[in-house]
Amino acid sequence: MIKKLVGLGLASIAAMLFASTASAQGVTKDEILIGGFGPITGPAAYIGLGGRDGLTMAIKEINAAGGVNGRKFRLIFEDDGHSPTRALGAVKKLIDQDKVFMIFCAAGSNATVGTIDYIKAQQRVMYVSFASAPAVTFPFSSYLFRGATTEVPRYGELYSEFIAEGLKAKKVAVMNGREEYPKNEGNALATALKDVYKVDVAARAEFNIGDKDFTPQLLAVKNSGAEVVAFFGNPAEAAIAMRQARELGLKQKFFVGATMVDKSFTLAAKENAEGATGFSLIPFLPGTPNPTLQAWEAKWKKEYPNLPVGRPNVFDVMAYTDMYVLAEAIKRAGPDLNTKSLIAGLEQIKNFSSSPLAAPITFTNKHHIGNLTLTVMEVKGGNWQPVGWKPSRPSEILKRYE
Amino acid sequence: MTITIALQLLIAGLSVGSIYALVALALVIPFKASSILNFAQGELVTVGAYAALVLTALALPYWVVLPVTILIGFVVGLFIERAMIRRIMAAPEFTLVIATFAIGLIIKSAIRLYWQDNLFTIDNPLPFGSFRVAGVVLNPQYLWVIFCTTMLVVCLAWFFKFNPLGKAMRAVSQSQEAARLMGVSVERVLMISWGISSAIGALGGILLAPIIGINPEVGHLVLKALVAAVIGGFTSLPGAVVGGLLLGLIETYSGAFFGSTAKNILPFVVLVVFLLVRPYGLFGRAPLVRI
Amino acid sequence: MKQNQQTVWMILALLIAAGIAPWVLPTYYLYLLNLILINIILALGLNVLTGNSGQISLCHSSFMAIGAYTYTLLNNHSQLPMLLCVLVAVLLASVGGILVGYPARRLSGIYLALATLAFLSLTQILIEEFPDLTGGIRGLKIEPSEFLGWSMGNETMLFYIVAIACGFCLYITANMMRSRIGRAFDAIRTSPHAAQALGIQVAQVKLVAFTISAAYAGLAGALFSMVVGFIDPVEFGVSASLRYITFIVVGGMGSIAGSVIGAVVFTGLPEALRGIKEYGDLVYSAILLLSLIFMPNGLVGLLRARKSKPNASTVGH
Repeated sequence: MIKKLVGLGLASIAAMLFASTASAQGVTKDEILIGGFGPITGPAAYIGLGGRDGLTMAIKEINAAGGVNGRKFRLIFEDDGHSPTRALGAVKKLIDQDKVFMIFCAAGSNATVGTIDYIKAQQRVMYVSFASAPAVTFPFSSYLFRGATTEVPRYGELYSEFIAEGLKAKKVAVMNGREEYPKNEGNALATALKDVYKVDVAARAEFNIGDKDFTPQLLAVKNSGAEVVAFFGNPAEAAIAMRQARELGLKQKFFVGATMVDKSFTLAAKENAEGATGFSLIPFLPGTPNPTLQAWEAKWKKEYPNLPVGRPNVFDVMAYTDMYVLAEAIKRAGPDLNTKSLIAGLEQIKNFSSSPLAAPITFTNKHHIGNLTLTVMEVKGGNWQPVGWKPSRPSEILKRYE
Repeated sequence: MTITIALQLLIAGLSVGSIYALVALALVIPFKASSILNFAQGELVTVGAYAALVLTALALPYWVVLPVTILIGFVVGLFIERAMIRRIMAAPEFTLVIATFAIGLIIKSAIRLYWQDNLFTIDNPLPFGSFRVAGVVLNPQYLWVIFCTTMLVVCLAWFFKFNPLGKAMRAVSQSQEAARLMGVSVERVLMISWGISSAIGALGGILLAPIIGINPEVGHLVLKALVAAVIGGFTSLPGAVVGGLLLGLIETYSGAFFGSTAKNILPFVVLVVFLLVRPYGLFGRAPLVRI
Repeated sequence: MKQNQQTVWMILALLIAAGIAPWVLPTYYLYLLNLILINIILALGLNVLTGNSGQISLCHSSFMAIGAYTYTLLNNHSQLPMLLCVLVAVLLASVGGILVGYPARRLSGIYLALATLAFLSLTQILIEEFPDLTGGIRGLKIEPSEFLGWSMGNETMLFYIVAIACGFCLYITANMMRSRIGRAFDAIRTSPHAAQALGIQVAQVKLVAFTISAAYAGLAGALFSMVVGFIDPVEFGVSASLRYITFIVVGGMGSIAGSVIGAVVFTGLPEALRGIKEYGDLVYSAILLLSLIFMPNGLVGLLRARKSKPNASTVGH
């Protein structure tokens, strides 16, 4: 009797051990199931659609090349409508119903932050490609990784260094929208300029997202004597503001925030955009005359022949390149693939860039901030072109994780 | 604050206000004819903007694109009334309100599916750019908007006063029963009033396209236009224009003096004040049912 | 008699289903069920104001926002027990209802709609203006807390809290509609003039309707914060208000069954539409429009029409 019970007990323990190592959720002998989510309806749809399509194309290529360690990828992508409620629902469905192995997050910041606690509680890895909210990487969690997008404070560091040392401006005016993202960009820049580079912030002006007229702010900027105007908002506002700036006789160079370093800005602002500078998350924006990029775009257009103007966009590129980072990490995790080995594999990624289209990604076991580089661009001839300026100061951000 | 700056702000306020005025006009017309508040009006402006985009891309000249866009707007309005609104005319008020919201959302989603959220624009239709007068910069595009809006109000005033169809619309807005008894085809009148307001919306779209760009969220303007219509009075066409211009001025000056927070809040505070104190606006006539 | 027996059996069945739900349903479906129950509370509240009293309101989501943010701030920054946080949230939302209802009691039709729209816009702006307090557009996380010794993240307990709250609201609504105040609501919807003539203080009743409706929304807001764990102002905007109006217009205005059906259908619909991916918005609004055109009395009206076919012997002579 006792022998039987002991035998049964040992067998159950063995079964549990076996189960936890061999059949990690979402991983079978020949398939890895990835759950993705992001906005594919609503005003932020261009983010999620780019994410989904870039991800899908990368997966198709990787699978065609034989997969990773003998396993092919399958993607289930859910819409979150840019809402934290729906993002949480999507993640619950993916993890609980569809039993995915890990989550690829192609969503905006608010939606992403809404899911973090659940992901950590479920002990699944989430790879965040676009959201820049600090909560993803700070405080440190071994389950969360940030890929192509960089940290919000990094923008402040790079912008200020470029404006102070690259553009050599002594007086700067900062104009920002009052939404969180542009406001953070504006504040980070102003603080860094004043504290680190001792540059005079001659004027600070705010506007509301959706404003159609910037005369009061532009007049204040004009009278401030600033040499460079830093503008943080959306392409729609930037286009109007820059046109009005020219009309009102402002001659200063414009420096714009990351959301405007995009084809939509140059298309909308046209000749008024000429000479504007800004930082891009990826080395080459879609539409740049660079052979690698053009070859990639041709491939993309073959895959998605009927898509509208403006695609592929930056999110297509970022999701595509991030998927390759993920694939590399999974390769390094080896045949025994589970959450722990995935984390180990990711943390081995150092300066990895699958192609010139991707910024190099580095993870360590102390921080999961993948990308700290941004590329400076200038509008020349109606297009954003890389300028070649590189920062020389090391980033202070990683000190937080020592 | 120097005179020049004050003047520049005045121009800016009138310019923004002319935008609001145009959309407010398009709200007031179906309301006058049928007491329906059309929350899809913003999307009808969007339709006009995208129609102009497509036509311009076909390399048609502006003086062709403008009337064709207006015509497209007119047809869309006719279609909406005939196919959807007419069936629910007898329903309670909120059904109609929600229906117009739904129509707006359908239009916006459909546009978004094809063109996504890319920002487009069309060129300045006027052959000259901004110029200076007495130290103040004037953008002729805004002058063009103000000009078109004024012409529109004049035409509409003439239409409602002298044209048989216009007179029929006024009759219908006062009493559908009586108008029917007088031999007016109420259905046809309502349909045409929707067509007209939709055409005005489309006109707004093409006029605004070079100024504020073209994207699916253009229709968001309708909120400001609603405030303008309340200020002016929902039953008064010149009131809508005055309301729009006033709103533009209030926004611009409050933004300059009190900052962006005030600029954000003030339109709605003004709205509330008017609703409480003078709901039929500065020029509206129809008294409110008071209980 | 039979009707009563049927109702009793139905309620019993629902109670049993609610009892075993958290043990039987997977996490995702439990989450959805929680959202449905919260939406039922919202629909019931909106029906009191719009369906029963005939007042159009576009700011229902603002009252929900007041409830949600109040609960979250109290939960995160004070030591008050959970029930007290919820109570304060409901109270503050009711104050919001009074703030809107009092000046609005003499308005009707589109002017009332616009006044509520103004209130909605103002609350949105205020939430975004004080990000240090409300998290602004960045949103606000609900910090983990405890209730009766269990963590608030415990899904079973969360479900019971939401289910009990929903049951409570259903019970209150049913009783309210049968009482004097419920008949007053009916009267002012049917004909404000006649109601006034009969001695009903229409303006006061309208105010009461607003307050009660806001209280429901406030409760829903607090529960929403608990269930989702993260709130941002976009969740409480115009589209949200429209969604709640959709529940009752398509479900059936003025009826409890309508509130329930509308909430269930339109919470479930986006889930069912997951397969249609980027066409979701378009299909959703098309369904809404078609329902409005072809089912003007809502789904409840449709079901009632089916049930009561005219008896030939009573028509004509």
